Amino acid sequence: MPDLRSPIRIIARRDAREALRDRFLLVAISALSLAALVSLVTGAIALKGDAATYAAARATLLALGKDAAAIAAPEFWPLKLLRGTLEQIEIMGAVIALIAGYRAAVAERGRQTLALILTRPVRHWQFLAAKLAGGLMLSAMTLAVVFALTALVLNGISGVPLTLSDLGRLVLTWAAGTLYLTGIYTLGFALALWLRSSVSGLVYAFALWLVVVLVAPQIGDTMDPDNQVAGGVFASLQIPKAEQDRIKAGFAGYETFRNGIEVASVTKHFERLTFALLGIKDSYTGKPLSVIWADKKGDALFLLLFTAALGGLVLMRRINPDQLTQET
Amino acid sequence: MTTTTPAIVTRDLTKSYGAATILHPLTITIPRGEVFGFLGHNGAGKTTTIRLLTTLLAPSAGQASVAGHDLATDPMALRAAIGYLPENVRLYDRFTTQENLVFFGRLSGLSDVEDRVADTLAFLGIEALADRRVGTFSKGMRQRVGLAQAILHRPELLFLDEPTSGLDPMGVRLLREIVARLHASGMTIFMNTHLLSEVALTCTSIGVLAQGRLVYHDRMEAVTAKYGDERALEDLYLGVGLSEVTA
Amino acid sequence: MTPASIVAAQSLAALLRERTVLLIAGIFTAMVLVSAWMGWSATATVNGIYADAVIYLQSIGQPVPANPLGQTSALGVLRNLTVYVSLIGTFAAIVTGQRLIEADRRAGVLPLIAARPPARMTYVAGKMQALALATAALVTLAAVISGLTLVLLPAIAVTAGEWLRLGGFFLLSWAYVTLFGMVALGAAARIPATAGGLLAATILWLAVTFVLPALTGNVNPTAAINPISALVATPETPVFTILGTVLGPVSLSEAYAYLAAGLMGYLPAGLVPRGVVPPFLSLIVLVAAALVFALRSGLALDPNAGGPDA
Repeated sequence: MPDLRSPIRIIARRDAREALRDRFLLVAISALSLAALVSLVTGAIALKGDAATYAAARATLLALGKDAAAIAAPEFWPLKLLRGTLEQIEIMGAVIALIAGYRAAVAERGRQTLALILTRPVRHWQFLAAKLAGGLMLSAMTLAVVFALTALVLNGISGVPLTLSDLGRLVLTWAAGTLYLTGIYTLGFALALWLRSSVSGLVYAFALWLVVVLVAPQIGDTMDPDNQVAGGVFASLQIPKAEQDRIKAGFAGYETFRNGIEVASVTKHFERLTFALLGIKDSYTGKPLSVIWADKKGDALFLLLFTAALGGLVLMRRINPDQLTQET
Repeated sequence: MTTTTPAIVTRDLTKSYGAATILHPLTITIPRGEVFGFLGHNGAGKTTTIRLLTTLLAPSAGQASVAGHDLATDPMALRAAIGYLPENVRLYDRFTTQENLVFFGRLSGLSDVEDRVADTLAFLGIEALADRRVGTFSKGMRQRVGLAQAILHRPELLFLDEPTSGLDPMGVRLLREIVARLHASGMTIFMNTHLLSEVALTCTSIGVLAQGRLVYHDRMEAVTAKYGDERALEDLYLGVGLSEVTA
Repeated sequence: MTPASIVAAQSLAALLRERTVLLIAGIFTAMVLVSAWMGWSATATVNGIYADAVIYLQSIGQPVPANPLGQTSALGVLRNLTVYVSLIGTFAAIVTGQRLIEADRRAGVLPLIAARPPARMTYVAGKMQALALATAALVTLAAVISGLTLVLLPAIAVTAGEWLRLGGFFLLSWAYVTLFGMVALGAAARIPATAGGLLAATILWLAVTFVLPALTGNVNPTAAINPISALVATPETPVFTILGTVLGPVSLSEAYAYLAAGLMGYLPAGLVPRGVVPPFLSLIVLVAAALVFALRSGLALDPNAGGPDA
């Protein structure tokens, strides 16, 4: 019985060498790390500014002999600073993953190497599995560097070492990110492979990215009634929380629709899961993982199914060498 | 499989895309040890035939056996027995000749791949190209590295799709010599071409395809006896082609 | 017809046959419609919330503030349009700019054109004209849909001044998307690799949209594409003051968002733009720079590089 893993390993190894040689991996890691660190550092600087403003206000109040409890101290949760980093992974990371998927397809298309591979004792699914494995490795490696760097910088900024629980949450976020980026990579790969021309595939992938990654979550956000007025509609009307909930209940249909658009996007599921894991969403700040998991396992499952289903589709669809060996 | 099995046997092998039939039912037997020249105009269906016989395309109907292996039921063994050089081959630009060949050799399941690469480069006289990146090569150099990947695993049957396309006269002569040496070593060669001079000089038998139909198939001696020189062969090729086109 | 307009006419005819370009234009049109509906729907919901809040505030004897939405312009219902222009409109322009050069290169006609009498300048001018006309057609389509929406939506009264401002917004949007299209055209001329121009222009656009706002004003990526959340004051720390001053003039998406919000009447009162250079001036200078880049790159285009066999 021949070793079925062997061709997968051989093709994946060649792809990895090419990624190292043409510096794509380096560029991908640098670009995403830079974007992530920019968001982290600017967030930290803004928080520091808030803290300084609070300290000054507190000092003024105390000097006037007043009670400083009247103003809320800005809370400091180091992992919350990763909001911008996660959003960069959501958006910029997704673009890098799409391009990587596109490159994995064009590395073979139109240059006859696909024909050379497929006329050897290699099954179609093995070739495809090798390409998907390459995407998984690329996503995992890139995010490992990004999270390692951000964790280091976070340690430096906060002055407080990250706890074991913090690190555990980071590892879970890394795993979720790897799954998310692998799914997007698979999308880019599949479209560049399936469509008549690989560049059309890239353009279609970008169009899908716009709709799935940017527009759908953005629609949910901009349709939020509280986002229609700067500062929030309820805040501007000074309505207490309990009354807000009662009024909102009257618009349940609108809210369901808004939420429906959001959850159609894999990006929103990634965001909901990771924002809860890292306590970026206030209602999950400081909550134990068991509570978060109970609430967010649906998002984790969606993420897993999205990537697995796309991967499955790619593996099952037979390659059409007649189309792929000649670039149009 | 025994060595007496023909290299290629097809029965009513057909390829259609919707209503358009690219290859009409093809029935042909090519014995082992032949250099078979497959002649035809552009668009006659020659490349489609090669793609069917190399498992790159699934036939719409009919059967075929290549190197003793059935196309439909035993594609993996078939692939292990063949070598293929597509027209306008392009390899991995950023990799050297050596790296490209090691990759394809491993995919063919070679365990002594480094030795085989060295032997093949020596056989083709391109040892000097071993450590150079393929992206810097001329068409002729790329074609020879492409040929190297096709014969690296010593296939029983070699498919060449328009191997002389775009080569200069020196390149054409070199390729002719290589094909002759491979033939002498016992390899069966299936070659698509529209260069009549090549067929006359290289092939032991020919088939002519026009508009997806096999309109002529015979051994080269019979062709020469019947039509005499190359010019007569040209008349046959063009006449067959034209009558089909105008039919 | 001048030689440049021959090139432009041929290029536009080719674009109309490109399924990819038409698909992106189709998505853009659909999103313009969606944004009009979203604006109307969200506005109706906030008005409903306000009506409920009035009943509540009156029941507890509190003073009733004015409807916060009533204080904004009728054009505010189209505020999502600014997002779709800067996302999908820009992307459509990038794809168009890249295809205008790359389609010729892939077809192998660049050497055929270069071997004819018209100067290279004529070819580039024709391509730039074609791009400007294609983006103008796209923006005009959006303008017509938006105008019809405003006329047809109940309970919205648009004044003559607002119509003028809407016209100004579309002119601004045309300049903004064309700028990125020109960058893609120039990049495609300089980079012979198949998708090189597309990728280079897209990466620049991503950096401008998602990285610069983080640097100048701590605006996170998702906030950067929200018409309201993007309009925040620069945090009052020395770092952001410096970054805002240095990078503000090139933070193009923020300049566009600021100007668009001003024209559409939902710019928060008292919000100052990033940096010291007025956004309008930034935009004009950067549009001019993009035109120069496209022109110079077009003149440097190597008709022999790339091509169908590459």
